[in-house]
Amino acid sequence: MTRMFYSLLLLSSLALAEPGTVIRKTDLRDKPFLDAAVVGNVSSNTQVDIQSRKGAWMQVKLPSGQAGWIKLLNVRTSSGTTSSSTALANVIKTGSSGKTVTTGVKGLSAEEIQNARPNLAEVAKMSSYAANSADAQKTAQANQLIAVQVPAFANSTPTTAPGSNIYQERRR
Amino acid sequence: MKKQFLLPFALAAAITASLSAPAHALDLGKLLSGDTLSKGLSVLSNAGEALNTSVKGLTPEQEEALGHNVMANLLGAAPLMNDAKVQRYVNQVGLWVAMQSEQPNLNWRFGVIDTPNINSFAAAGGYILITRGLWDRIRSEAELAAILGHEITHVTQKHHVKALISSKSQQAGSDLISIVADYNSSKSGAKAGEKGGKALSEIFVRGLDKNDEYVADVNGMVLAARAGYNPYALVSVLQLLGSVNASDSTVALLFSTHPSPQERLDNIDQVVGEKLEGYADATENTKRFNQVKR
Repeated sequence: MTRMFYSLLLLSSLALAEPGTVIRKTDLRDKPFLDAAVVGNVSSNTQVDIQSRKGAWMQVKLPSGQAGWIKLLNVRTSSGTTSSSTALANVIKTGSSGKTVTTGVKGLSAEEIQNARPNLAEVAKMSSYAANSADAQKTAQANQLIAVQVPAFANSTPTTAPGSNIYQERRR
Repeated sequence: MKKQFLLPFALAAAITASLSAPAHALDLGKLLSGDTLSKGLSVLSNAGEALNTSVKGLTPEQEEALGHNVMANLLGAAPLMNDAKVQRYVNQVGLWVAMQSEQPNLNWRFGVIDTPNINSFAAAGGYILITRGLWDRIRSEAELAAILGHEITHVTQKHHVKALISSKSQQAGSDLISIVADYNSSKSGAKAGEKGGKALSEIFVRGLDKNDEYVADVNGMVLAARAGYNPYALVSVLQLLGSVNASDSTVALLFSTHPSPQERLDNIDQVVGEKLEGYADATENTKRFNQVKR
């Protein structure tokens, strides 16, 4: 029983291991809620293993081995943790599913966009897949999605004058 | 073929409209007052005025013509992924999110293009594409909804048209002017239309205004929340992008045209922070995502 527990634990950490860095000192909680018990604290710059996410929370494992929940926005991932071999693995994965034919790892580069010949037939094909609103609403409901009122952020709307720095205003 | 004529016609119409409506001169004054305009655009101030007018004044038909040309060019670079189920699914989710926007009745069309690159694109008129590279990496419908919400915001707030007249894309502005000139000096409208799609596609290579990317992130989260998803799924998408090696060719175009994932997360941290946490326990994933994603 104990051995099974450990092998399950190992399996899940292998499947979800994703490194991150904590950007500010924060409490570590035992559940993804603000009123959950604080089981420790995490200092800025701590390297953590991201294990799962729920709502605005992220389950992390500290270098000490202690696990718990912190806010998602307290963590940044760092460049270079996923190599091109992972990207390649994705291509192979998709190719092997038989859904798509991968002609090479050549991507959609700036040059390819600049040198492309317009493909009108493909635009027509894209339009042919368009949904209608009654259908979109019905399928959303069938998948338990409920529309709610959420006010827009007033300062997320750009002013009309080019060059005005909304970002600076927001930072104030 | 007929549609290709629409673009130069639309621009010519925009010029005519601006000449007969001096009220737009106010906007032109604003436009010319800063250091935001290139010398070239200042010299061609009449055409510049036409472009400025076009930001607010494009008719739905003109927007559709612009978007159609741009999409034809982009789809010429990478066609749709050959999977009708995925294409229909992305349209269902995309339209549901777009129905929560300021333009629920626009002719919204979504698609997944067949390239391993990680990116997404939008064009005037309601055209939105994400790449197979991005589709393969997302882990939930809430993540997809947040990405589409970001692109939907670029469309509803007309960020691409705006970028054409900004200092960052002087060349595209000049290209647009030369298309108008071409159209006026010859009858080869189709050729000009083709060129138009190319010139406007330059926006995908040059990128939009950095602020507009931040705006699209924040409003994309709002649209996702309105559609019943956890809006913080955008945070996990950006963390995913942040973990990709920046020197990887699959993200070269995305990273050269957007603020870094870290900068975008910092902006969300400052602008949104905890403010949308009341919606964070909404839907993360759906049955249909798991069915289509296999």
